[in-house]
Amino acid sequence: MDPKDKEFLKRLLATFRIEADEHIRTLRSNLIEFEQTQDENTSAAIIETMFREAHSLKGAARSVNLKDIVSICQPLESAFAALKRKDISLSREMCDLFHDAVNSIERYASAADVEQTTQKDQVKQRELIRLLSDISEGIAAPAKTQAPEQVAETSDVEYETGPAIPALNDAKTSPSTQIEKKSSLAETVRISTDRLAPLLLQAEEMIMVKIAATQRVVELREIEQKLGLWKKEWAELNGCRSGASGASESHRNDLFEWNEARLNGIQSRLAELTQMVEQDQRNVRRMVDEHLEATKKILMLPVASLLEVFPAFVRDLARSQGKDVDLVIRGADIEIDKRILDELKDPLLHIIRNCVDHGMRKAAERESENKPQRGTITLGFSIKDSRRVEIVISDDGVGVDVERVLSAAIKAGIVSPEAAAKLEHYDALSLIFQSGVSTSPIITDISGRGLGLAIVREKVEKLGGHISVETNISAGTTFRLLLPLTLTTFQGVIARAGESVFVFPTINTECVMRVNSDDVMTIENRETIRLNGRIISMVELASVLELPMYGAESRKAEGVNACVSSYTPIVVLASADKRIAFKVDEVIGEQEILMKSLGKQLSRVRNIAGATVFGSGKVVPVINVSDLIKSALRSGGRAKQAAVVDKPDVRTGNILVAEDSITSRMLIKNILETAGYRVVTAVDGIDALTQVRSGEYDLVVSDVDMPRMSGFELTTRIRDDKKFSELPMVLVTALESREDRERGIEVGANAYIVKSSFDQSNLLEVIKKLI
Amino acid sequence: MKNKHDETRENKEEIVESSSIQNSMDVSRETKSCSAAPGAEEKRSILKSRAHELARETEKAVEGRNFIDIIEFRLAYENYGIESSFVREVYPLSNFTPVPGTPPFVLGIVNVRGQILSVVDLKKFFSLPEKGLGELNKVIIIRNELMEFGILADIIVGSRSISLDAMQAAPPTITGIGAEYLKGICEERLIILDAEKILSDENIIVHQEID
Repeated sequence: MDPKDKEFLKRLLATFRIEADEHIRTLRSNLIEFEQTQDENTSAAIIETMFREAHSLKGAARSVNLKDIVSICQPLESAFAALKRKDISLSREMCDLFHDAVNSIERYASAADVEQTTQKDQVKQRELIRLLSDISEGIAAPAKTQAPEQVAETSDVEYETGPAIPALNDAKTSPSTQIEKKSSLAETVRISTDRLAPLLLQAEEMIMVKIAATQRVVELREIEQKLGLWKKEWAELNGCRSGASGASESHRNDLFEWNEARLNGIQSRLAELTQMVEQDQRNVRRMVDEHLEATKKILMLPVASLLEVFPAFVRDLARSQGKDVDLVIRGADIEIDKRILDELKDPLLHIIRNCVDHGMRKAAERESENKPQRGTITLGFSIKDSRRVEIVISDDGVGVDVERVLSAAIKAGIVSPEAAAKLEHYDALSLIFQSGVSTSPIITDISGRGLGLAIVREKVEKLGGHISVETNISAGTTFRLLLPLTLTTFQGVIARAGESVFVFPTINTECVMRVNSDDVMTIENRETIRLNGRIISMVELASVLELPMYGAESRKAEGVNACVSSYTPIVVLASADKRIAFKVDEVIGEQEILMKSLGKQLSRVRNIAGATVFGSGKVVPVINVSDLIKSALRSGGRAKQAAVVDKPDVRTGNILVAEDSITSRMLIKNILETAGYRVVTAVDGIDALTQVRSGEYDLVVSDVDMPRMSGFELTTRIRDDKKFSELPMVLVTALESREDRERGIEVGANAYIVKSSFDQSNLLEVIKKLI
Repeated sequence: MKNKHDETRENKEEIVESSSIQNSMDVSRETKSCSAAPGAEEKRSILKSRAHELARETEKAVEGRNFIDIIEFRLAYENYGIESSFVREVYPLSNFTPVPGTPPFVLGIVNVRGQILSVVDLKKFFSLPEKGLGELNKVIIIRNELMEFGILADIIVGSRSISLDAMQAAPPTITGIGAEYLKGICEERLIILDAEKILSDENIIVHQEID
């Protein structure tokens, strides 16, 4: 075949698959409805729909030359036609057969371009076709005689606007007329999600612009404030100046006036600019929000689109186990982000599978328990506080035996028998979400390995939601899932621990508060606080995250100075019904967060779900709350003890580190802080000079090669100031020549460390000698 | 917006002054662009010669399969080379955010025009002895189809072509880096890293679950 033709056929097949998928779904859902309905008119309408669907599908398959599908559609269509004419009545076996037929059509459609069928498949297919043909052919003869009129009668379905289509029993009806009819029903365009997803991504990225604009306004206001301060100072200075006079003063006066006029000009320009940027920011905010909202809506789909397969799934599964189970769906019109829906399918199917498999008994057994023969599983969707969706899956089955969960958990080594005895009903039941816990006595291919619910929980939590379960022996089991409606952005609480800033998703944050040290009780070597009548344990965020300890120590040193306030800010986080209070150093605020992945190399980092970029360009990690709570439970009191360990030889002193390379700067800072010094950093010589003049330092460590002002010049300038003539200066440099070393000494440095031989001990040794 | 601007120009003298600076800047920019923006004819000839230049480059690459293009950089007082085809870009490191719970060889994450990338310190990944204090303020972003991250470098020396024939297998003692990560060693102790191997090494991937 010509490669061009091949390409064309490939595209054709792709289009066919989308269309076929739609027909198959409609056929399936109608089949289920058909089985359940008692009403004549409804069932007539359903048969009509199914007949048309089978017919259109056949036409579509023929146009891409998929003979396998055509050969199944043909007898299927005839069977529906016979049903329509009421030549035959529906039997259970017939329904099973129809389901089989639809399943095999789906199989062929999804493998359409593979063009390979095994011998076994072919045998199966022939058998299927024979059975289907039997249905219609057994009674085919009498049917033909009374065809037209009766067909017109029964085909009077609501969307039929024009005259009834003649010769419905004739396969020649062109499929195009029906497709046209369909498209006139709703004005829709079919666009592949591959094209929509980048659009949404772009819309999300624009949040960055919005956040950045807000940041620019803040920065401009800061500059304005600084200028305001200057103006005040200047006015005072001006007042003093007018007193003095002299010949040389006149020149200076000119300079003063020129300066003032110039700066006033800058100030008014700045004020204007600020106003304009503020206005831009407001516009950008509005536009970005509206744009994102509209784009999000494109990918918001009704839950119904996910649920189409569910009734058939429940039916097939129940029938294969000789059970009768109905699935009742409520709230299927609720719209959820497609990306969440896609992720939800497997967890929901799994829970439902569990309900059918473990919860439901056979009809006879149910009858002996005074329950209706047919079991019911209810799948309900509802919106909670406009941002979340609650999904409730409940069955009227046998319920979960908590004792058996407990013994399974003990057997799997998840809890000790002693701990198990202490667990309350609810906590014990939650053990079914642990991997390795299964109450099923036998392992089947469907369930029983005890992995399923653990994976379900992981998935739900990954989507930022949580799951819980309730049960009543012999009355049934209810699973509750709480999930966000959209994935794109969420509100986050921003808090600082040491020098690190983190974001906590607000959905998992129960509250943010300050606790008085008097309200902290120590129970079994763990700190706890009382919140709404419940006792919850409290841990240090920095130690759970294993942040470097020097941070904690220097903070402790600060704490001694500022012990006036005995209040500690805490963030109370909740996940899977566990709550823990995390001590932080500062709660900075709350803002809209667009979370991004940490990059391909950091595929999964414990306790960290992702990162977000603030308006300032700063990258901030987002906490994975369920991980963090697990880590906190695991580390327990141990972390607290580690934090208490004292360094034997703690040094004191304030050191300024000037270094333009961020990695070197951080390295030197860490070394010095670990040794006990308090460290302030500067990014270049000018920055360092300003810091030296405004702060009190015991020593300066400076790189030589820096932008704006070198270490040599910095040393010279510091030495020029009488106040700092004795301030010890350590130069760290990549320059190794003797001339450079001499120059270092010449400008007044006390020590000169060459980078190539730099290590922690020689730096500390030198500093120890100087302070 | 324009009106406002004009108003202030009338009222405040120094605005005029600053805008005159603006003017002179515009002039200089213009002159610059004059020299940089040649006529259509000239442009064509420049493009042509450039195309010729580029075409030659490819020719050479095709005829001599034995050459590879590398980016040469310095790390811990050694010179390394990494194949250019794996290098997305070189990025100056001005800031980064450490990520708690990652191994020491992960320096942290950076924001590269909205994309978040992790930065790996190869010195720590290969457990090279901590020697001296490097600049470590350049990030070479390397990638293949499945992986992408930045590696820290002290200085970017430049890019060049090297002959594979002149490359020898590195004796394992020459660096602390395991031979499996090396393509070989060239004259003047230029150590060529095997980018593909580093990118696809599963030890570099951080994947830790808590259960």
